[in-house]
Amino acid sequence: MAKLSKSPWIMHYDGSSCNGCDIEVLACLTPVYDVERFGIINTGNPKHADILLITGGINTQNKPVVEQIYSQMPNPKVVVAVGICACNGGVFKECYNILGGADQVIPVDVYVPGCAARPESIIDGVVKALDILEKKQAEMENKASSEE
Amino acid sequence: MAKGMKFTGFALKNLFSKPATYGYPFVKKDYKERYRGRVAIDIDDCLFCGLCARKCPSGAITVDRAARTWSIERMGCVQCANCVEGCPKKCLHMENMYTEPEANKVVDTIAGKPLPKKEEE
Amino acid sequence: MGKRSVVPFGPQHPVLPEPIHLDLVLEDEKVVEAIPSIGFIHRGLEKLIEKRDYNDYMYVIERICGICSYMHGMGYCEGLERIFDVEVPDRGKYLRTIWCEMSRLHSHMLWLGLLADAFGFEALFYQCWRMREKILDMFEASTGGRVIFSVNKIGGVLKDMDKNMLESFVKEFDAMEEELKRLSDVFLTDYTVTSRLKNVGILSKEDAILTGAVGPMMRASGIAIDTRKLGYAAYGDIDFDIITSNACDSFARCEVRIGELFQSFNIIRQAVKQIPDGDIAVTVKGNPSGEAFVRLEQPRGEAIYYIKANGTKNLDRARVRTPTFTNLTPLVKILQGCDYADVPILVLTIDPCISCTER
Repeated sequence: MAKLSKSPWIMHYDGSSCNGCDIEVLACLTPVYDVERFGIINTGNPKHADILLITGGINTQNKPVVEQIYSQMPNPKVVVAVGICACNGGVFKECYNILGGADQVIPVDVYVPGCAARPESIIDGVVKALDILEKKQAEMENKASSEE
Repeated sequence: MAKGMKFTGFALKNLFSKPATYGYPFVKKDYKERYRGRVAIDIDDCLFCGLCARKCPSGAITVDRAARTWSIERMGCVQCANCVEGCPKKCLHMENMYTEPEANKVVDTIAGKPLPKKEEE
Repeated sequence: MGKRSVVPFGPQHPVLPEPIHLDLVLEDEKVVEAIPSIGFIHRGLEKLIEKRDYNDYMYVIERICGICSYMHGMGYCEGLERIFDVEVPDRGKYLRTIWCEMSRLHSHMLWLGLLADAFGFEALFYQCWRMREKILDMFEASTGGRVIFSVNKIGGVLKDMDKNMLESFVKEFDAMEEELKRLSDVFLTDYTVTSRLKNVGILSKEDAILTGAVGPMMRASGIAIDTRKLGYAAYGDIDFDIITSNACDSFARCEVRIGELFQSFNIIRQAVKQIPDGDIAVTVKGNPSGEAFVRLEQPRGEAIYYIKANGTKNLDRARVRTPTFTNLTPLVKILQGCDYADVPILVLTIDPCISCTER
């Protein structure tokens, strides 16, 4: 399989956030920060995506949606939790409807702090996630070749 | 049809002018002076009164008075600067650089000097 | 009669920045009925007033929404200032007005970009957001944050903008206005854009009043009401017109928002010319007791803030009624009878801010 980390496709989902981090994620695609130079495309189809950018502390109503999106993504995949709300619930930690961050629902690989996270910070987080993606891809290939 | 070609001027101008991208991560720019990046503390002035921990809206700061430590969850700080305003000794300030993303939740703990043998003022 | 089918739209959709779910009942590609179901962003943050005192709650209310963040903080502070019966100094009022109008600028530019993305004109989306980055740089230079500013406090503002900063901002706005004139020309006269927006999603004047539309949605149907004319902050001293349009369709809403952009530049220029010297805040001590009712003009419409305090350091109630909540009813009305391919555009013309709606 060719090197995935040379052109990863990103999917973004807003898991009960205030929108600040979502707007900064979209701003990464705009000309001033332009992640498309690295071959990154923002897709809407979970089956096309390699990296899931999740924002917001997850709601009880949103929990099955996030689990479904995660299960529809094909392996190897990485999850990047963008913003303080996705890391541990943020200022809404004690709210009755917030579960407390994305790692309560799906396994998270990289945490990007900030309220709202700067586009430069998000790019740093995605670059860290690409290393983890390469490792996962190598593991998958080793497992497949050892099973044959 | 001329009615539909209004954007051509923009497209041609962008073809021949300098790109708007500033080239992160190969080029790093200086963030503005007032940017609230990350909380930093001068631990020698700290009284360990715990006001900053009470003022923090997300509960990221923990102050242990007995052990004289001040710790902050980097992945829980919303950069509101409420602690900076509320500190009675003004020993907290905001640095210009954001916290880097990590694969695990970072907690920074800073320990103060142990108390001198003479009585505290 | 054609075949009926029910198609789910959202909560995860490439064109929507926020999760909202619509069940669309289709009859051969025409939408017959739309049944919305919201609740994906409800965090229950109004209950946090029991745990935070009235000063620290400011930081929670700012984070209701990332786009309308400044005015939520301002509405809360205005409510408490009325309860405490203190008057913000004039310089503080003018600074608040300037930040409000900059907030409106960035919100409308964001909306223009998302609208262009919704009808597939990605290059236009990138141009709008490229210009918007300059405003975010100005916010960062003056308040310290790009999205959440944390610059309001009860009794005034926390940071000052000196004369040099204000004049450099006005120069940048002049340059931006020139570029925006050419960009708005594309939105208003290009054939590809107008063919997607004209006669799509018509909301007549009577329907707008009956269903309770607010903001640019209402002003595009010919109703001339603008809550800024009430005179809060420094708006009483500034001259501006109410921008309306009589065409009642999506194109009219686009026109009204672009008109408001140019008007915001004028308001900022007037404010910078008239801003007096002096303090930026007064200190406020003690616990509040009483109730207050504040109305503000957010970029999306009229927002209402109701604050009730009972003499302790925790408030009794901090209720926010946001404009998108009332605009959901006109949305259901304009979706009836539209084409299936027009649904993303119609959802975007109300400028949905679902995180404001469902605090």
